[in-house]
Amino acid sequence: MHAKFLRILRHRFVAVPLLIGIAVIGWNAYVATHNGGTVRGVVLGPDGRPLAGATVTMMEQNFTTNSDRGKTMTRADGAFEFTDNRSHNIQLRAEKPGVGRSDLVVVRLYFRAQDVTLREPLRVAKHAG
Amino acid sequence: MIKKRTRRTWTHASLHLAMLAVSFCMLLPFYWVLKTSLTGENIFVYPPSIVPVHPHLFYYIDVWYYIPFPRYLLNSVVVSVLSIAANVVFNALAAYALTRHFRGRGAVITVLLSCMMIPFQTTIVPAYLITAKLGFLDSYLGLALPTFSTIVCIFVYKASFEAVPRSLIDAARIDGLSELQIIRRIMLPLSTSAVATNIVLSFIWSWNNFLWPLIVVRDPLMQTLPLGLSRFLSYHENTTGALYAFCIMVLAPGILLFLMAQKEFIRGLTSGATKG
Repeated sequence: MHAKFLRILRHRFVAVPLLIGIAVIGWNAYVATHNGGTVRGVVLGPDGRPLAGATVTMMEQNFTTNSDRGKTMTRADGAFEFTDNRSHNIQLRAEKPGVGRSDLVVVRLYFRAQDVTLREPLRVAKHAG
Repeated sequence: MIKKRTRRTWTHASLHLAMLAVSFCMLLPFYWVLKTSLTGENIFVYPPSIVPVHPHLFYYIDVWYYIPFPRYLLNSVVVSVLSIAANVVFNALAAYALTRHFRGRGAVITVLLSCMMIPFQTTIVPAYLITAKLGFLDSYLGLALPTFSTIVCIFVYKASFEAVPRSLIDAARIDGLSELQIIRRIMLPLSTSAVATNIVLSFIWSWNNFLWPLIVVRDPLMQTLPLGLSRFLSYHENTTGALYAFCIMVLAPGILLFLMAQKEFIRGLTSGATKG
């Protein structure tokens, strides 16, 4: 009985869908625990030091359009955080009057509202982008 | 003796070289689609890069989210499952009837073979009218209805059923089995290759069907993957990577099913070729 069950389990018509099913369930479990919509990062000024009080704009990118999805200010350590991202394809830009603005940074995510911390800081420069 | 062996080695080597060349030609377009889906490289770029440069999976994610891909996938799966189930059952019934001797059997076979020459496009208007009369427009049943039975698959079954020894069927009949029980308990278990061939062929035909869903579906949420692909194209022109990713996502289930059932599929087709 045990051997018969194992033989059925090892059959490719059972094993392949089973493995796919396990992978799908595993992926969905990962998504469900990491889709808080948090986007974290740091903004650096032209001198390379953290820039406080800069405005960071988040835009949602579609096929043809970029729509504004929110703004936040950087803290004293230059860090910023969005908590309401619902997209998988966003763009970020930091700006501070009198200092300059950063290039538009495209952030691609593997699923909607994925929690992410930017590896590279947004660099504000006088004549950027 | 050595000369003979050397000649055989050379024949084998040249045969394998030829097969490699043919395989290369067959697989190159697939590789190119896969590579473009991972890089988004424009097909007109010159010189083209053979190896993917900076590959990523984000085009697949775009396809998943920008259009209702999961819904299209569900529609295609439901239609294909309906089509497979109907083909496996109805074709077996038809094929078993054709293995029996009755008056007009030759005429029925001739009519079926003749019908194979009529393209589906010519019968699409009556098919639409019948589906509309039955009230199946914009439904899964309506999408799957024309693929419920295919003549090629009937003949695949027929060839396989004819290989079952007559004495076995007679013994089953003496044991009190009805005709339906003979098909279910004797014929189908002894014709696994034909069943696999029916599954693969009906799946591929219903999965790739474009024209019939285009005509029978009004609701955008009832569209299948091939229709979704054309809708996707109409959204935006400059989506090379996402478009190729969509193609891979449409092709993948069919390729996977074929790879799983290829042994039975080829056996089913070749048995049909030699005994039909």
